[in-house]
This record gives sequence, C-alpha cells and structure tokens, in this order.
Amino acid sequence: MPESEVLATRSGQRTAAGPSLKPCMPGVLLAVPAVVLVTVVVGGGSAMVAAQSLGLMPLVGRPELSAAAYTAHGGDLLVGAGLSLAIAGTSTLLACLVGFTAALIIMQGRWCGKLVAAMSTLSVPLPHIVGAAATGLLLADSGLLARVFGAAEGWPAIVGGPWWVAVIFEYAWKESAFVGLVVAGTLATRPVDYEETAALLGAGRLRRLRHVLLPLSLPALMISGTIAFIYSFGSYEVAWLLGRPYPEPLPVMALRLYNSVSLTSRPEAAAIGVITAAVSLGAALVALAFLRKIPLWR
Amino acid sequence: MYGGDTQGNAYVDDYLVPAAAKEGVTLKRVPVADTKDALNRVLTEKQSGTTAGQVDLVWVNGDNFGTGKAAGAWACGWTSLLPNMGVTNPSDPLLSEDFGTPVDGCEAPWSKAQFTIAYNSAAVPGPPKTLAGLLDWVKEHPGRFTYPAPPDFTGSVLTREVLYSVSGGYTNVPLAFDQGAFDRLTPALVTELQDLKPSLWREGSTYPKSSRELNALYAGGQVDFTMTYGPAELTKLVTDGTFPAATKVLALDEGTVGNASFLAIPSTSGHRSAAMVVANLALSEEQQARKADPGIWGQFPVLNPGALSPEGRALFGRLPSSPVVPGYEVLSKNANPELAAAWVPALDELWRRQILAGK
Repeated sequence: MPESEVLATRSGQRTAAGPSLKPCMPGVLLAVPAVVLVTVVVGGGSAMVAAQSLGLMPLVGRPELSAAAYTAHGGDLLVGAGLSLAIAGTSTLLACLVGFTAALIIMQGRWCGKLVAAMSTLSVPLPHIVGAAATGLLLADSGLLARVFGAAEGWPAIVGGPWWVAVIFEYAWKESAFVGLVVAGTLATRPVDYEETAALLGAGRLRRLRHVLLPLSLPALMISGTIAFIYSFGSYEVAWLLGRPYPEPLPVMALRLYNSVSLTSRPEAAAIGVITAAVSLGAALVALAFLRKIPLWR
Repeated sequence: MYGGDTQGNAYVDDYLVPAAAKEGVTLKRVPVADTKDALNRVLTEKQSGTTAGQVDLVWVNGDNFGTGKAAGAWACGWTSLLPNMGVTNPSDPLLSEDFGTPVDGCEAPWSKAQFTIAYNSAAVPGPPKTLAGLLDWVKEHPGRFTYPAPPDFTGSVLTREVLYSVSGGYTNVPLAFDQGAFDRLTPALVTELQDLKPSLWREGSTYPKSSRELNALYAGGQVDFTMTYGPAELTKLVTDGTFPAATKVLALDEGTVGNASFLAIPSTSGHRSAAMVVANLALSEEQQARKADPGIWGQFPVLNPGALSPEGRALFGRLPSSPVVPGYEVLSKNANPELAAAWVPALDELWRRQILAGK
C-alpha cells in the first residue's frame, strides 16, 4: 500500500473516532494498572521505610517519633555516604567513557563493531552478583590471575583493597555495556546524514566527534549514566563481595544493620535506606535539570 | 537453615527429608546465607501479623535465639512433648541454656559444636599450646594469621576466646552480661588485639568478612591458620584437597568454647505439629548417629550416652573416626562455656569501633 494511502486511512479513522482527545484515552487507561501497581509498591515501601526510620514501627516498645536513627551512626554515615558517592561516581564516569567509545565502534558497523555489540549484549543480562563473583575469582589474592602470574605475595590488593578497585571495575564493566547499547541505539535512530554532511563539509574526525556525535548522544549518555549511577549507588552485593569490612558504602551498612541481632538497629537501617533513596532522587533531579538545558532534549 | 555447609545440606536432603516423608511430613530445606535472615523473616512476619508464615523450623542458637525469644519470635514449651527428649540429659547445661538464655522449651537440641582452630602442620612445625602462645606465634610470623571480622560468627568467637585468654581464663569472666565487668575486662582485649594488628594478614588493615573468606585464604596458602565452629567440615575439605593435607586441629591446653545448636519453631509457623515431628525425628538415635558420621556430616550428637538403647549404642560404636578431627571427648576437654548472648553484640560493636575503625 502506498504511503499516502496509509496516511489517509489513518486520518480517516481518527476523524471517524470523533474529537482528537479520545484516541489518547485507551492508551492512558492501558497504562493505569501498571502505574497504580508501581505507585503502591514503591510508595508503600518508601512510606514504611520512612515510618520505621522515624521510630514509628519499632519491633519492641511503643512507637515514638524521633530522629535518633539518623544520628546514631553520624560519623560512619557521612564516611559511608562519601564512599558510596565516590564508588558510584567513578564507576559511572568510567562506564560513560567506555560505553560511549563502544557505541562509536558499534556505529561503524564493521566486524569489530559487531563484536563489541555482541559482547555488550552478552554482558547486559548477566546479573551483577555473577559479575562480582567472576571478578573476585579473577582478581582476588588467590584468584586466577595471581596464580597465572605466580605473584602470590606481590599481588596488589585489588579485591578488598583500600581503593575499592574491584568494585569500581565490576560496575564500570557492567554499566559500560548498558551505556554503550543505549547510546548506540539512539545514534542508530538518528539520520547518519549529520555526520556525513559534516564530513562532506570538511570536518575532521575530532570535530565531527565534538560537534556532531557528542551532542547527538548527550541525552542518551546522561540518562543511561544517571541510571548507572543510581544503580551502583544503591546496590549492595558487589560492594559486599569485593569490598572490605570498613568503611562501608551505605547499602552494605544498611543491610548489616538490618540483619543485626539487636532489635533497635532496624530503624537505623531504615534511616540509611531513606538517605540512599534521597540521594538517588537528588541525582535524578540534577540529571533532569541538566537534560532540560540540552537543545536536543527540548 | 544456614546453606553454606554442603555436608549439612546433603545430610538434610539425603537422610532427614526422606525420614520425614516416611512420617508423612514434607520437609523443604530453605538455604539462608545467615540464620539472621531467617530470624528477620520471622520478625517481619510477626510485624505484619502473619499466622501462617513461610518458616516452620529454624536451625538456630546463641544471640539469634536470644533476640528472637525477646521479640516473641519462637513458639515455646513444646520440647517436653517430644518422646526423644528422653534420650538427652536434662541437667546438661549446654542444652538447658543457650548462650545464657534459658531454653524454656522454645527450641529442641540438635547438635553440639566445639570451636576449633586448624593449622597447616607443614608450615607450623611447633604449634602453640595455648591461645596466648598462638598470639605470640602470630607476632613472630607477621602476615600468616587473620580472623574473620565480627559480627561474623566465627570471628566473634575468636574475640571471646581472646577475652578469656587475656582475662586469665573463662572463670574470670562473668557469663551473664554485666556492664561493670565489660568495662573492666575489655581494655585488655582491645590492647591485645591492637598489638596483634600489625602482625596480621595485610598488616591488619582489613579482615576477611566471613569464615568462608578465611577458609579461602587458608586454602590458597596465604595464612597458616583457619578456624571453625563446625570442625566436621575439616575432614571433607582435607580429603577433597581444598585444604593442605597437613592440616591438623590445634589442641589448646585451656580448651575452647563449646555450644549446642537447636531447632526452633517460629511463633508465626502454620505447621507447628509437622515441625515438631521433624524436631523429634532429628533427635532420634538413628538420625543423630547418621549426622555424627564424619563421612556424612560429622556433627556431634546431643544425646546422653548413658541413656542410649543397646541398638543406639551399637550405631554410635560403628561410626568411623575422622583422620583430621579428634572425637568430641578430646575436643571438648576443658570446654569453655559461651558468654551470655548480650555479650556478643556488645563485643562485636566494641571490636568494630576500636579495632576495625580505630587506627
């Protein structure tokens, strides 16, 4: 069927359906169950956590409004928040760099682009915990690489070391695959002409990268980077498996307190949960504010 | 139940589950990374008012039991109804009190355990004979020893052992928690552990987070000592080559801490009678003997040898002995009692603040 005819039929249907608002309605209605479910689960869960953190749902004793849970671990909480921010920030930055490069290679479409795309596609569905276990087996003191190089004593403290190298490496690796695929997907939907036009007009590779490819992928890069940041900021298993017992990132600290045998530490765990959620929300808002400034997004 | 012990898992799956099925009870083993997870589940169910909860029987002891009891997480007063309780010794202090918390029929005994330090006799030719001697050995051989960071169960026990040692024996530490005694005795413990720090693996700048990590270090030859509250696992780890063949159990003159572990029924359980059938079955001579076989699990029985039936005695007599781990009579010689559950979080928190976070 020729394109003009298809358009005509569609517009015909639209007029037949009546006023222009109505066709939107079924779409909104279809989304309502999912939205309600998500709102109830996320909103209900957050409200419960907030109530617990404020001492309104104690396991023993009577409910009493107090901020004690927030101040109980003052120093550790600040150190933990700083550590979490540093880990999530560094790994997100690395993931964006590697991911963007991977996207450019994928866009070239040659065999190495296909290889990178295949590798990224394989990495994304792999659970973080599997990635963490694999990283541990590979990089730990008695891990595979240490054995291959026979560097028993001289092996650097990558796993459980002071710089959290293994944790950052795992997040950067997994999230770079995600960032790479998202950015490549966005670039693929844009007309290639921009780059070709720029090339025809005599722009060199670097200039095309700076003035064409980077601005085109910036929104996707920012969104996927924010998702990666929030994920690594709030996730627990990688930091627990590959980190050290002190200082602790916020999620590890929250889980330790939640599982702690003392009955009073649950509100403290909930308080850390609230702080983690607040920082994540803040990161999302900041990212959104930046996105609004990007001409392409508008 | 704790799922990190493959032999324990295999015993339950291969022997206890089929035996329970014969009694008409479907037993489903749910592995947890830490018994606290199971307790937390029960506490959450209690918080939400569930009466037919997901957990019907928990392998538990110590502070998890104490905390659960304080929060009303366990069903109580049912163990006297179990016929097989008759084969246990009612005056056995290990079975009537669990880390200082009166059992009060809230949990049925299952196994006894003895804290055990193991070493590689090829690397440590003249092993120390006391805990103080061990600490001296560590200072003379920097980087060859470490212990899991409390609140890990095993690391937590080691700090209590060191507390006994620096206090001049367990008789000098009141078993019931007492803030005065805590303030009086712990400075020596902190000093000792601080002094030890530079001689530990990675100069004590960090610690393994779990006994599993310590075992990995020991298996990789990075440290010469490991420790466990379940010495049964040593036999298998040496036989399958994970641990060095020269692994031996360190015999300490002053003895080590011993305890018993139990099966508790959550107050939120919807299948209380079925859980009682399983707890009774687990206490039977046949199951206790199977469980004590080093080739199966090697957990020490809780039964009173004097109260065994002739068949039961024959069953236990036929058990093979382990090439690595001495029998319970040897291990539990001079056994030290466990401190009351309230000591445990206090010591763990002290360790965290002073040793782990302190410089």
